[in-house]
Amino acid sequence: MKGMRMRGNHCMGRLLLLAVVAGVGWFGARGQDFAPPPRTPDGFLVPQPGRRFEWPRDHGRHDGFKIEWWYVTGQLTAEDGRELGYQLTFFRNAGPTPGGGMGAAQPSLFAHAPLHLAHCAVVDVASGRFLHESRINREGWDAGASAETLKVHNGWWRLERTTSGPGPETMDLRAGVRGEASLELRLVAEKPVVVFGTNGVSRKGRDPTAASHYLTFTRLRTEGTARVGGASARVQGVSWMDHEFSSSQLEAGQSGWDWACVILDDGTEIMAYRMRREDGGTDPFSTLAWVGSDATPRHVGPDRFQWEVTGRWTSGVTGARYPNRVRLTAPAFQGTGTRALSLEPLLDAQEIVDPLGGVAYWEGACRVRDESGKVVGRAYLELAGYVGRLRDKFR
Amino acid sequence: MRSGTDKGMVRLLLASTTWRHWRREPRQTALLVCILALGVAVYLSIRLANRAAVASFANFAGLVTEESDWVVTATAGDLPETVLVEMREALGTRAVDLVPVLETTATPPRRSESESMGERPTFTLVGVDLVSVQNAAVGRRQDRAWFGQGTEGGGGGDATKEADAAGAALAFWSVFTNGVAVFVPEERARLDGLKVGSRMPLLINDAERELLVAGIVPRAQEGPNPPSNMLVMDLPALQAVSMRTGRLDRVEFRVAPGHGLAARRAEVRDVLARLGEGRWRLATPSERREAGETMTRAFRLNLTILSLLALLVGLYLVFQALDGAVVRRREEIGILRSLGVTATTVRRAWLAEAALLGLAGGCMGALLGWAGAQGAVRLVGRTMNALYQATNVRSASMSWEELCGALVLSVAAAVVAGWWPARVASGLPPAQVMLRHAPQPTGGAWWTRPWVGLMAMALGGVLSRLGPLRFEGGFRFPAAGYGAALAWVLGGGVVAGALLGPVARMLGRWSRRSAPVHLALAHLRRPSGRHRLAAAGLLVAVAMTSGMAILVASFDRTMRGWIERTFQADLYISSDGAQSASTQNRIPEATWRAVVNRPEVADWNVIHATPVQLGAGETILAGADLAFSRRHAPLAWRDPPEPAIWDPRLNEDLALVSEAFVERFGLGRGAVLELPTPTGTRRLRVAGVFSDYGNERGSIVVERVHYERWHGTTMASSIVLALKPGAGDEAVRSALRVAHPGLQVLTNAHLRREVLRVFRQTFAITHALELIGVVVAVAGLGMTLAAVLLERRGTLTTLRALGMTRGEMAGATAVEGMMLAGVGGMGGLVASLGLGWLLIFVVNRQTFGWTLQYTAPWATMAALMALVMASAALVSWAVGRWGADLPSDRQE
Repeated sequence: MKGMRMRGNHCMGRLLLLAVVAGVGWFGARGQDFAPPPRTPDGFLVPQPGRRFEWPRDHGRHDGFKIEWWYVTGQLTAEDGRELGYQLTFFRNAGPTPGGGMGAAQPSLFAHAPLHLAHCAVVDVASGRFLHESRINREGWDAGASAETLKVHNGWWRLERTTSGPGPETMDLRAGVRGEASLELRLVAEKPVVVFGTNGVSRKGRDPTAASHYLTFTRLRTEGTARVGGASARVQGVSWMDHEFSSSQLEAGQSGWDWACVILDDGTEIMAYRMRREDGGTDPFSTLAWVGSDATPRHVGPDRFQWEVTGRWTSGVTGARYPNRVRLTAPAFQGTGTRALSLEPLLDAQEIVDPLGGVAYWEGACRVRDESGKVVGRAYLELAGYVGRLRDKFR
Repeated sequence: MRSGTDKGMVRLLLASTTWRHWRREPRQTALLVCILALGVAVYLSIRLANRAAVASFANFAGLVTEESDWVVTATAGDLPETVLVEMREALGTRAVDLVPVLETTATPPRRSESESMGERPTFTLVGVDLVSVQNAAVGRRQDRAWFGQGTEGGGGGDATKEADAAGAALAFWSVFTNGVAVFVPEERARLDGLKVGSRMPLLINDAERELLVAGIVPRAQEGPNPPSNMLVMDLPALQAVSMRTGRLDRVEFRVAPGHGLAARRAEVRDVLARLGEGRWRLATPSERREAGETMTRAFRLNLTILSLLALLVGLYLVFQALDGAVVRRREEIGILRSLGVTATTVRRAWLAEAALLGLAGGCMGALLGWAGAQGAVRLVGRTMNALYQATNVRSASMSWEELCGALVLSVAAAVVAGWWPARVASGLPPAQVMLRHAPQPTGGAWWTRPWVGLMAMALGGVLSRLGPLRFEGGFRFPAAGYGAALAWVLGGGVVAGALLGPVARMLGRWSRRSAPVHLALAHLRRPSGRHRLAAAGLLVAVAMTSGMAILVASFDRTMRGWIERTFQADLYISSDGAQSASTQNRIPEATWRAVVNRPEVADWNVIHATPVQLGAGETILAGADLAFSRRHAPLAWRDPPEPAIWDPRLNEDLALVSEAFVERFGLGRGAVLELPTPTGTRRLRVAGVFSDYGNERGSIVVERVHYERWHGTTMASSIVLALKPGAGDEAVRSALRVAHPGLQVLTNAHLRREVLRVFRQTFAITHALELIGVVVAVAGLGMTLAAVLLERRGTLTTLRALGMTRGEMAGATAVEGMMLAGVGGMGGLVASLGLGWLLIFVVNRQTFGWTLQYTAPWATMAALMALVMASAALVSWAVGRWGADLPSDRQE
């Protein structure tokens, strides 16, 4: 049954995976003398070290790269005390060749490429409801991204920079899951944008073309309105936003990845991932990064942090067994000791089964506890590559 | 208790007497069942064919998901695709999927030059955004995400292997970039032997395009299936190949399921209605379907009336047959009655027998009807195609409801037909039937009185003055007209029956020398009810057939006159893809300029046409160089125009309308009509009314330059050329066909032939149904005579004893039959003159709004009469021969 699902609409699965795998750019930088070629063999741009980012231009889309995505997760508390988690991701895939092979001289409302895929998920902890929806559109009237600033949309979902004046970066988000849930949120950055990697490039493999530019707002104060079912309420909370663009491919020998973003109450954040190899080991390109108040990431290599699975959940839909309880142990942000943090899902059933993409993965809101069991922050955990073989998608 | 006994007796009678009769007379029983079956079959097949022919898809989204909630279409022309941005913006945070759709028609290229119009199928090419349409499909019917097949690795099975074999042409991205990828329904693929990777040449507009089959749309296990003539393309690809870049025909809306759906639907409707006021129409798919059905409703009602006629004649025959059976089994009834069986029981037994016959006939009729529908559906479909819209149904299916309906109809018809004979049977006093020479009933019932007939005819006269039933959109159905026709033929039938006696007496004065003639006339001087009924049946059949012949002849003559006047130019050019009334194939300006700039061309006209919504009804708007028609193709005027219409500088607010338009919309000369156009509503004054037998939806004609400006298009529907003296039309036609293979070029003579052929084709079904009426009426005559002879067995024995030969006796019967046929037939011919008038000036006018010139086809009518007389003579002579051998004491 899983196999059938995966085969059902393979082409879309490929798109999604290409996009998701771009996230392999979480890899930390390896080496300072990195000099990649300007383009991939199929003509796409390769991220170059030393790139000078311009804002808000670089929050917008980047033509010439194969994959780009904007990813927001957050946890919200409603006036009535209800806890909600949400994820909204916009993917943009350029197509088989730069410019999508369309060679269109003028913008079309129905461009042949790029394609835009989007996922939205909402978890309502009290009712135990996990709702999600996927959308796919060609670039044009119903999906697109600005080249000037952060302004991306897919159907009625959108994420748009609304910063005015010299104040903090703000963005408005609206999305929903069919008629079941909707979100209208304002996100205000409490820290400047973080550029992960070294010298502006986040490498993801030994291949010099396998790299990305990886930009993140690690802490966004969030306010707005959320509706689940018929109940609408004012909400507030905190969100995380990644923006990444690359032209990378999945490497041989990799079977999937586990990724987490952690927003701690003490004002620091962690981005961490573990790239899993087919032999069960952890890829040397895995990393963990601390972000303090200066928004400069401090990367820690896989030899210096531990990703320990403390519990698993089996999906009744796909049968996949997800390691969705995790303990992260890493050198503390300040001082010389280590810090151990446990990620515990707000709800086990946060699996996204995407009929458009033909893929399934677990992406869930978690609470974070310290060694004493006290809740010290919130996190989102992503577990990919547990259904089928991801690499089969890339033959 | 008593009723239980009664039931038992009825069963006993059925088992002992009825069953015995059926066994002894298998041929007669079979004939009866066949007659009923025929009536049911004709009715049912027309009904099924009708339904299948109008079953079209009002929305695309229904194929991949649940039906759309709302559909937006332009009030005039099409929609610019930029409305999508506007709509999405206005809808804000409402969870709605928008499905933009473009539709056009296409036709396979002709295989030979001799193919006539309408022979090739018309495909509907539907363009949808193959990427975004999946949003509507997902999570609902995943099996319908068929477009992913045919791409690498997708789908699985043989199709995929073939796709792989077909190579990179079908890779995922190339479906979007190659611009010619098309998805075909499974049925079409089977019919045409198409596979993934097959090439499919199609004429779209003025050019032949080779489309590439990128996938096969599988048959769905449940829910609607695409019609076999529907092909799906990616929207921008279809926009490009149909030269309609940036245009849409409609936008469908699917409100996301979930909480408060009804309220959210209503919200979406309100937003769209506010946003599009005056620019577009908002409807649900079912409202759109209804609108489509309204357009052909009058046509289908007319067909239903004709098919009911077939059932009616079937009913008449059953009546005749059961009546004959009562006569034959009179002794038996007498015996039963004298044994104490009550009259009620006898009547019930006879009615039960009729019902059984009805059931058998109904079963057989349902089978025949289903089979007939498969043929009729093509005939009906072709006619509707020529008149209204592209439909390409090739089969009709039958539901249980329809099957049960057919059975109930058949049983009810048989019981109604058997009611009178059953009453006669039960009413026979035992003593009377035991007598050898019991007098036959002479038919003194009230309905045989001539005044009844005259009253019916007068009622018909009143009905003929009433107006039609009006449907939404200005469509009409002449219910009173049909009522008048029925009243006239029935009244005529009664009068004909009443005339039998006087006519026989009159003829009797001249024919005293021939014993058989004398004998026949003697019988007719006091005609029985059966005689009257046979004459009336013949009258009805002949009147209907001849009346229809008058209508067709009048139509034919009027059409030919109109064609003579209207088609005076030399060459008529349209897209070769234009095969039906619904075609959307156009000629781009570059092509038509190239054509009209040829040196052989003396004068030309370029014509645009598009359907347009006027109030609740749809009509045709045409743009043409009006002065050209004055120079080369004078219109036939119902209401001559004011001179300003000929001058493009003066005619911007003027329009010409057709007679059918006036009939439908009630806007005659001088009236002002509000015409929606893509650039706003135009107020036009009707400057003149012309005759147009081209369509019964009506048409509005305006000056071409204004049309082009209002609609922002120069794509032409057709070109008309007048050639310079000496330029041979055939030579120019050949040159044009070579230069523009995607154009259909007709010479004047060819066009006239085609127009008449299409027109005659629309009467094909009518003719077939009418013929059945005549056959049944003659068969009825034979049965009447057989029953009459059975009654006269005693007399026949006496005549034989007196030395009358079998030949003479058969001759006497033949004369009797011919007399009936003569009176019925002549009455029918006379009635048909009135009926023809009714069909032409009431029914046709009310349905189509056309004025026809009354023409009686005397030769056809005479031939019909001769045919009826000859077949009546033959049948009655045969019956007479059979009757001459009847033993006097034969016991049934």
